[in-house]
Amino acid sequence: MSGWIAGVGRFAFFTIDFLRAVPSSHRPLSRAVVEAYNIGIKSLPILLVIAGFVGTNLSLQGHSAFEPLGGQQMVGMFVALAGMRELAPIIAASMVAAKAGTEMASAIAVMRIREQIDALEVMAVEPRGHLVTPRFLGILLAMPALTAVSIATMVGAGYLVATLQLGLNGSTFMEHALAASEPGDVFWSLFKALLFGVVICLVSCYQGFHSAPGPEGVGRATNRACVVSAVTCVLLNYLLSELYYG
Amino acid sequence: MQHLAAIGRFAIWSGQVGARVFVGPWFLRPAARHCWTVVIRCLLPVTAVVFPFGMVMALQGLSIFELFGAHRMLASLISVAVLRELSPVLASVLVAAQGGSSFAAELGSMRIKEELDATEVMAVDGLAYHVVPRVLALTLACPILNLAGSVAGLTGGFVTAVLFKGEQAGVFLAELWAFTSPVDLWGGVLKTTIFGAIIGLVACYQGWTTTGGAAGVGRAVNDTVVWATIVFITANYFLTSALFGAVG
Repeated sequence: MSGWIAGVGRFAFFTIDFLRAVPSSHRPLSRAVVEAYNIGIKSLPILLVIAGFVGTNLSLQGHSAFEPLGGQQMVGMFVALAGMRELAPIIAASMVAAKAGTEMASAIAVMRIREQIDALEVMAVEPRGHLVTPRFLGILLAMPALTAVSIATMVGAGYLVATLQLGLNGSTFMEHALAASEPGDVFWSLFKALLFGVVICLVSCYQGFHSAPGPEGVGRATNRACVVSAVTCVLLNYLLSELYYG
Repeated sequence: MQHLAAIGRFAIWSGQVGARVFVGPWFLRPAARHCWTVVIRCLLPVTAVVFPFGMVMALQGLSIFELFGAHRMLASLISVAVLRELSPVLASVLVAAQGGSSFAAELGSMRIKEELDATEVMAVDGLAYHVVPRVLALTLACPILNLAGSVAGLTGGFVTAVLFKGEQAGVFLAELWAFTSPVDLWGGVLKTTIFGAIIGLVACYQGWTTTGGAAGVGRAVNDTVVWATIVFITANYFLTSALFGAVG
């Protein structure tokens, strides 16, 4: 237990050090664009696959949930609401944590065990600012875009299952989906995604910086980055939903 | 083309592992030990993720059912969604992220340090000794964690609906099983058994074929989570369609 609390404290100090080092970072914007491209493009294929299959499942589940009520046409509303408000941001977050977050952690952990981070410090470059800032800005750019893409994919996949597999009327589906979607919901879920991006980036980079030596250390840091950021995002998601919809 | 070749290599390797499950030699004690480690390591992440998801389900479900004045339906929606989909999928994602990737890291660093080659030199069958117990452990651990996740998710729904939103506890508990049949529970267990086997095979394959030093171990861990998730989410769609028969 005290180990956990000490870890939270170290994480807080890491975050403060990082925020202090942001202004001294060298050309962060141009590198941030590269990072955003890396994060976005690398996570996009898996995100499309996962969001697509989550959308199909939403349709199947919505159908079986609303069938007893005789409200099969509500499937469109269910897919749009559940996908847009909750699942799209959290799915985007968990996939970015699994793909980009673990890559950040393992890249930084490898630099740590090869003493490249110490080399940066020797050259009077603040390593947190230099390594974390572009990743941080990049993930801020990438997360809302990925979330928007996954909302579209989910609703599209849900539509295909509803019309082709469940034999529902396509225009009724879209009508209900559009009636349920409000701009405020979309912006809130993009905002949630932004916060998830902050969590993923800081947690993954922290794990990388505090990696234990050797290949096991890198493996463990990578592993922890994914699990800790996913759990934190889900907990944060409940608080944010309670705040807005509660 | 490269992808096809990779799939083929994975299939051949999985076939070799699968043959050893039936032919032996069996190492049951390591399998039990690995299973115990996975359950212990994943228990907290699984419950910590499924519990808030149940809470969010209750929150959003209430806002939907308020439109119809059908608050009673909330509990049955939560129980069906948690038992069929949420708990199996989320538990498996967490098992892949925590258990699977730690197996990939272990096997990967054993590969880098040539410990796996040392096993071969000692005439011990590496696949049977290192891989089969881990795959079996994940196959067994995944359904166990799914049950824990189901309980956590239903509790999360109960906490939000009854304690925070003031629904009646009796109505919630009575409606919980109204649309739920044992098929939902066993369907979830069956699904997670298959997911566990998929995660085990993908994770151990990534670890087994690690190359390129410490960075390679990191890459193996990363690929494990990504590929295992893609494969079992794809499988999930077909299993849901088949088990719960949602064809219109």
